Order: sequence, then structure tokens, then C-alpha cells
Amino acid sequence: MSTFLIGLSIAMLLFLLAAGLTLIFGMLRIINFAHGAMYMFGAYLAYQISAASGNFWLALLAAPLGLALLGALAERWLLRPIYAMPHEFQLLITFGLILVLEEAVHVFWGLSGRSIAPPAALTGSVEWFGTAFARYRLFVIALGLAMVVLLLVGIERSRIGLIVRACSVNPAMAAALGVKVNTVRTAVFAAGAALAGLAGAIAGPMLPIQLQMGTTIILDCFIVVILGGLGNIRGAVLGALLIGMTRAYGQQWLPEWIDMLTYGVLIATLLLRPQGLFSKKERLA
Amino acid sequence: MNSIASQAAAHRPVPATATSATRLPLASADLRASLAVAALFALVALTVRDDGVSFMLSLIMVWAIFALGYDLAFGTAGILSFGHAAYFGLGAYGATWAMLRFNLPFSVGLACAMVAGALAGTLVAWIGRRVTGLYFSLLTLMLAELVSIVMLTRLRALSGGVDGIPGVPRPQFMDIDFFANSAFVWVVFALFLATVLGVHLLRRSPLGQALQGLRQNPVRLEQLGLNVGRLRLAAMGLSGAVSGLAGALLASLMMYVSPQLLHWKVSGDVLIMTLLGGSGTLLGPILGVAFFELLKELLAEYTDHWYGLLGVVFILGTIFMPRGLGGLVLRRWRRA
Amino acid sequence: MQQLVRGAALALTLVGGMLTPTVPAWAQDAFRIAGVLPLSGAFGIIGENMRRGVTIAIEERNGRVLGKPIEVSWDDTETSTQVAVQKTTRALSREVHTVFGEVSSGSTLAMMKLTEQRKIPQLITLSADDRITGSDKSRYAFRTSNTVAMENRMIGEFAQRQGAKKLYAIVADYQVGRDMWAALKADFESRGIQVVGVDLAAIGTKDYAVLLDKALRSGADSLMLLVVGGDVVTSLKQGADVGLAQKMRVMGTMLMDETLGLAVGPAGSVGVNSTLRYHHTQDTPRNKRFVEAYKAKYKELPSQYAGEAYDGMSWWLDTVESTGVWDKEKWVDAFRASVRKDSVEGEKRMRACDNQAEQPGLFGVAERAGGDGPIVMKVTERFGAASLFKPCS
Repeated sequence: MSTFLIGLSIAMLLFLLAAGLTLIFGMLRIINFAHGAMYMFGAYLAYQISAASGNFWLALLAAPLGLALLGALAERWLLRPIYAMPHEFQLLITFGLILVLEEAVHVFWGLSGRSIAPPAALTGSVEWFGTAFARYRLFVIALGLAMVVLLLVGIERSRIGLIVRACSVNPAMAAALGVKVNTVRTAVFAAGAALAGLAGAIAGPMLPIQLQMGTTIILDCFIVVILGGLGNIRGAVLGALLIGMTRAYGQQWLPEWIDMLTYGVLIATLLLRPQGLFSKKERLA
Repeated sequence: MNSIASQAAAHRPVPATATSATRLPLASADLRASLAVAALFALVALTVRDDGVSFMLSLIMVWAIFALGYDLAFGTAGILSFGHAAYFGLGAYGATWAMLRFNLPFSVGLACAMVAGALAGTLVAWIGRRVTGLYFSLLTLMLAELVSIVMLTRLRALSGGVDGIPGVPRPQFMDIDFFANSAFVWVVFALFLATVLGVHLLRRSPLGQALQGLRQNPVRLEQLGLNVGRLRLAAMGLSGAVSGLAGALLASLMMYVSPQLLHWKVSGDVLIMTLLGGSGTLLGPILGVAFFELLKELLAEYTDHWYGLLGVVFILGTIFMPRGLGGLVLRRWRRA
Repeated sequence: MQQLVRGAALALTLVGGMLTPTVPAWAQDAFRIAGVLPLSGAFGIIGENMRRGVTIAIEERNGRVLGKPIEVSWDDTETSTQVAVQKTTRALSREVHTVFGEVSSGSTLAMMKLTEQRKIPQLITLSADDRITGSDKSRYAFRTSNTVAMENRMIGEFAQRQGAKKLYAIVADYQVGRDMWAALKADFESRGIQVVGVDLAAIGTKDYAVLLDKALRSGADSLMLLVVGGDVVTSLKQGADVGLAQKMRVMGTMLMDETLGLAVGPAGSVGVNSTLRYHHTQDTPRNKRFVEAYKAKYKELPSQYAGEAYDGMSWWLDTVESTGVWDKEKWVDAFRASVRKDSVEGEKRMRACDNQAEQPGLFGVAERAGGDGPIVMKVTERFGAASLFKPCS
């Protein structure tokens, strides 16, 4: 049971991160290689705000907002100039962004790792059936599930979601109908960045806040996105669950084979169902 | 391989003069410029007897070989690979095992490296034969990661694990002390020159023309009767071989090999250097590597924040120099 | 003409970064030290600390040795062995008189191959791998800090003294980790401590929750946490959530100190036992002077990495000074035979047979200063050198 909940908490964190990445790809056809760096920046930002104000909830709110601003600026000034260029240039420019973000963190916070103390209500553990469950992990699971619902409803049911999907499928038509496609694009990238920031803020009390935290998690994030299907948010949920559970149960039973197992599944997916395990074809949400 | 080349010769596809926004024509200007840079390298190696400078020069040439190999897949055949570290690293290990475990001479080690790289490249292309576009690129990344993890954990005894294997030898020939970098730099130079000429000749050959067709218009290529699948295998195999050669040279240069050479950052680095320099040319990868390494050194000497400055350079370079440094130079060169 | 100028400008730019001023062989105008350390990346903070320790050692003697000024250059290895090799080669070509580094044993061993070849003394104050003064030892490389074998003996002794009966282990999956565990397992069992389970964790594992859970449910009273780098922080932070250090006796080598306590947070740090390479409370006159100087310059107490770096470098420089001549072979010979009576940890004795310094070992437990202050280490056990080192054969 505890393994299950741990797997679920890993899955929710991965989902938050992967949702941003897949959203950006689905709408903008951009692979945001700087996603891990944004996650890291969000964690540091959350650390700073919670340390300065003593309020964890404020940090949880402010970090995503900060990243949204960063994302909007990045889209407008870095990505928009290169939309016309071949895709590989996205790599170069987002890589440049990674270096700049990491340097910024180095300058402001130095090299030593940081830690966020969760609010008192979320520390320690609850005892159920003789096992201790960390309260903070339960919080992560709850928040993750809430975000799943929010994102799915937002994209599939709301008017904003409709506009976003329209811009992704047929931008010319959407523009003809009066939608400011450029603004929508910036907003979507900002939203993706905000999700990365939220993931970082949430990871703060659970994982070490250090310069390399982005690079260590980005590969898992890519795996989730590929398994779920690029641009597919439902798929991202299922992919995150798959990877989260694999990691948790893998560590329980065969810790030495987890990574190989994960990559094996992934490669099989790319060969047999590249559109993702959970989608019929590429789609947004 | 022969049948493809002869097929290509028979059909005489149009030479690659058509350009997309980021590719450049005029191979001969390209070759002349590249040979000029090579001459510059040789000049520095001859006049400056400093061991550290020879090391730096060798490092640049080794990575230039890697980038040229990478560009065989990317710039020539249009295959965007995120996993070239696998061929680079396997080449390094192939040479190391041949020399350390079986006591084979350096030249044989290099040959093993090229074979290892070629096999790996061809295998990846074969595994992904039904996959195209972005998914193929992601597949290359994931396969390279798998190789990296296997080498790091399962094959620890062979790879040395996280610590790697120190003591990779330098060549032994007559009584020359190749442990001195000022001597080894000539071995690297010879292979660098060979690679430049080799890639140039390949690009001009019927096979090379066919590979460029792969990038420009695979559908048309099929219509002309060429087997696109086999061309992809060839492209990746050749690219892997050259990458493997570079890996072996790096291992010998550093006298050390480790699974770090298989890390995805290495794949990212070579792609970035190629893009910075300008893909599809000979000069591009060479300048890209030189610029990248030298810029790092230069910046690091003046400021602790060289990392961030490098990032700014990438960003500005992408927006303002889409044809890369090589493009910039070649355009000026041609006007002369 | 314009093209020629442009071409020349490009060529000069290309070559500019490559050329560094060359120095004539074995120049005697200054004592050059090349500090080749990770100053960025995963071990950046460690390298930074070591840099500080060396800086104090140099300032203490007014930046001079053998009547000449000391010049230190710091080369960032970016926590990559490739870069370490590259930077060391460059440093060696600049004709340095001492190389200092590195942190990870893999990098140190690779560097040793180069310094041995060029016959330049190398000072190691952190990497613990036994091969450094064992199978791969070199006449020119010296280590003044702990070895894996030494730490193993400390842990076994500590566990026994604390009355451990059943032990669970989580071990980092790399050569040193596995080797260490193999030796430790045998040692524990010979002391009557039962090993109830072991898990190997890949370096960089992000989530230790499942493994920690297994450990808690195993019925063991002690947990041996043999992890490195960022994993120390990850595992202990996640241990805080389940009260790990309160429920089990958590111990390890270099598992906890003031810097790590800051990164982990108090909840996960209190109660963790760890070997201490160095501690600022050690009561020797030299240590007191060092701590004062360090606090004055850096406004914080020196960490283990800084302390060991200071100790090794000041010992080395004093030895060089004592020879009175500018001859590195004599420096090496003198160092091999030297005894440091007043090191910051007590007495250290360099062994000529393997260039390893015999020294006492410390064990400490983490607690909060003054009840609710930051994490500090309290020294709980001291082991004499005799019990930690097998004599040279």
C-alpha cells in the first residue's frame, strides 16, 4: 500500500511537469528543452519566497506566476523569431536558455543545495494500517489529481480551451475568426512554464533543490510525454502513472532493472505505437 | 552499397545546388576554406611547442571529426539524431578494449572503433526503419540512453562503471614518444585531414548525392528507384563509423574512457556545435567546434559567469546567424 | 585586400584562445599551484570549500614559500572527469610545481596518471578510493585524508560500540560503494551484527521513499546509508517524512555535516551519525587559528572539505619550506617521511610505503545548536590511527 501511494506521488509530480511539456508541444509544435531548467528555477523561486515570507502557500502561488512571466517573455523574444526556422534551432535556443537560467540560479543562490520546509500541517506522517505515510506526499497526490481535473476540464470543456485547440489545429482559420493567435501562443507557452514552476515548487520539500535537479528529471519527463503521446494530456496522466508505478514497484522488487525496463517499454512504444500508448492519433487533450 | 551507388550514377540525380534557407552551395569554396583552417592548425602545431596548446588543438580536431561524422547523418542525409554519443562512446570503448585487453596496436584499435560505431549506427537505423521524423529522433535518444545505462550498470566490469578506465594508451611507433601532446597532435591532424577529404569525396560521390537526396526529397528518391531505407542505413553506418573514430581518438588523447562519453549531453554538444557552425558543409562543423571550445576557454578566463554568457551567445547566434559561422565565412569567401 | 584582413582577423581570433604564455622549464620565479577542482556541477560546492581551505593555508604564510610568491590558478572541472583531464594537462603544460585535486575518485585517478607521467607532485585531500594509495599509487601523489578502508573500520567499530544488532543497508551502485559494502558486510558479521537486507541504488536516484520504507519494515535497528553526492540530501530529506533518524540508528561515511544539514533541513538531519573527516571543534592550537582565520574571511565555520584542504596544503607547503631547496624530488622525499604533529586533527604521519597519511578518525552525530538553531555536529567517538591502519608490509 505504501509503495502504491509513493508511486502515485511520483506520478503526480511527473504529470505536472509532463503536462506542461506536452501542452507546449501539442499547441506550438515546440519541444521545450528548457523545461527542466524552468522546473529548477521554479523550485529556487519557491524556496526564496517561502524563506522570505515564511509562507509555503504563497510560494506555491507565486512560483508558477513567476515562471509564467518568464515563459511569456521567452516565447515572445526567443521563440517567435525562430518559428520559421527548422526545428533543430529550437534546441539551440532553448539550450542557451538553460545555460542562462542555471547561471542566474548560480549567481543568486550559489552552489549549495536548498531545502523548503513544508508547512506544519503537512510535515510528518500519518499511520494507517501500521505503516507511515508522509503527509506531504498525500498532499502532492491530492494537488496532482486536482490539476488533472482542472487541465482536462479547462482544455476540453471551456471556451479558452476551445480557442487554444482551434489555434493548434488551424491557426489561419482561427485568426480569420478574430482570435489573436500570437497572444494565444504566448499564453500557452506561459501556461506550460507555469506548470513547470508549480512542479518545482511542489518538489521543493520532497527532493533536493540543486542546480542539477532539472537535468535529472527531464529525461523521465520526456519518457512520460512520449508514452502518453505528444500533445495528449490524458495520455500524460496515464504515462506518468505508468512510470511512477514502475519506479516505485521496481525499487521494491528489482531495483537494478528499473531503468532498463523503463527504456525497454519506451523503445517498444516508439517502434510500435509512436503516437503514444494511449492515443489514436496526435491530439491536444 | 555498390548497387545503390550504381543506381544513383545511372539515374544521375540533380547535383545539390538547390538550397533551403540554411544550407550552402559551392563545395569547392567549402573545401578550400576547410583546408585553409587545417593549414592553420598545422601551423600552430608546428610553431607552438606548448603541450597544453597541442592538447587543445587535438581536442578541437577530435571533436571536429565527431561533428563532421555527425553532419554526415544530419547535414547530408537530413537525419536529426539525438543519440550520437552512443557511437562516439562505443568507438572509444572499442578502441580501449582492443588496445588494453587484447594488446592490439593503435591502428587496429582505431579500426575496431570505426567498426563498432558503424555497427551501432546501422543497428539503430535498422531498429527504427519504420519510424520517421521526430519519433525517429526521439528513438535515437532513447536507444543511446539505454546503451549508456547498460554500460554504466550491467556491464560495469567492462566499462569501469562510474569511474571509467584510466590508462588508455597512445600509439607506439618507432621510438616517438606519443605521450607528449606535441607529437600526438600530428596523429590527430593526419586523421582530421583524412576525414575532411573523405567526407568531401563522399559528398561528391554518387552515394553522397543520393544521401543528400534523402534530406531534400525522399519521396522523389523513391520514385527514382532508390531504396530510401538502405540509404538511411548507409548514412547512419558511415556517420557512426566516423563518430567512433573520434571517440577512439578522444580516449587516447585523454588517456581515459568512461561511460560519461555516452551521456546525452555529448549528443547535445555535438549537435549544438554543428548548428553553430552551420550544417551541410565541411567548414561549418569545424568552425563550430573551434568556436565553442575556444569561446569556453576565453570566457572562463575572464569571468566566473562564462556559463551564462555562453547561453547568451547561443541565443543571439541562433537568431542572427541561422547559417552558422561557416555560412558567414563562406559567403564572404565567395565574394572574394 | 579586405578579404585577407578579414581572414587574418578570423585566424587570429581562432588562435587567440589557444595560446597561453609559455613559461621556461622549471621556472623559479614563483611557486605555482594548479587547483583542479569542480567549481560547478554536482560537486561544485565541495570544490568551492576546498578552494577556501587552500586559500587560508596560503594566506597564513603571507603567500610565500621558499622566499618566492605563491601563485594559485583555479581550474573548474565542471564535475566531469573529461574536463578534469583536460584542465590538468593544460596546467601541467604551464609548468606548475604542485597539482591539487580532485573530488571524485575517478577524476583523481585519471589525473594521477598525468601527474605521475610528468613527475609533478599531486596533493589529494578528499578522494577516498583505496586504489589511490593502493594498486594505482604513485610516488608523486599524496593523500592526507581518509581512505575507504579506514572509514570502513570506523563504521564497524562504531556500530559495535553503539550496540547495533540488526542492520539494513542502502548502497550507492558504483565501484567504491560496492567494494566498501563487501568489506563492511564481512566486518559487521565478524562483530556479531546481523545484516538483514541490502538495496543497491543507482547514483542519482530521485526517490528513496520505497527503499527507506523497506528498511523501516525490515526489523533492523540500524541503517547503513552508503550514498554519495546529492543522494545524501535526497534520501535524508525523504527520511524526514517518515521519521527515519528517530526510528533507526542511521549512519554512514561523510553522511552529515553542517553544509549537508542546511541542504537537508533539521527534520531529516537530527540524529544522523556520520564519520567526520574534520571538525571545527577539535581542540588543537592550529585548528583554533585556522577556524578563526576562516570565520574572519568567509563569515562561517569551515566544513570538512575546507578543513582537510587547509590541513593538507599547509602541511605540504611547510614541508617544501623545510627542505630549503628548489628541487621537487627533495620535496617529495621529505613529505614521504614527514610527521605532522600539530595538524588540525591531531597527529598525522605520512607513510613512505604508499604516500598515505595515518591519522585519527572522528565520528559525530547531528543535533540542533542550542535546541532550535542550525544543524551542528557533535563529536561522539574518536579512533586512534593505530586502530584504523594496517602497518606497511
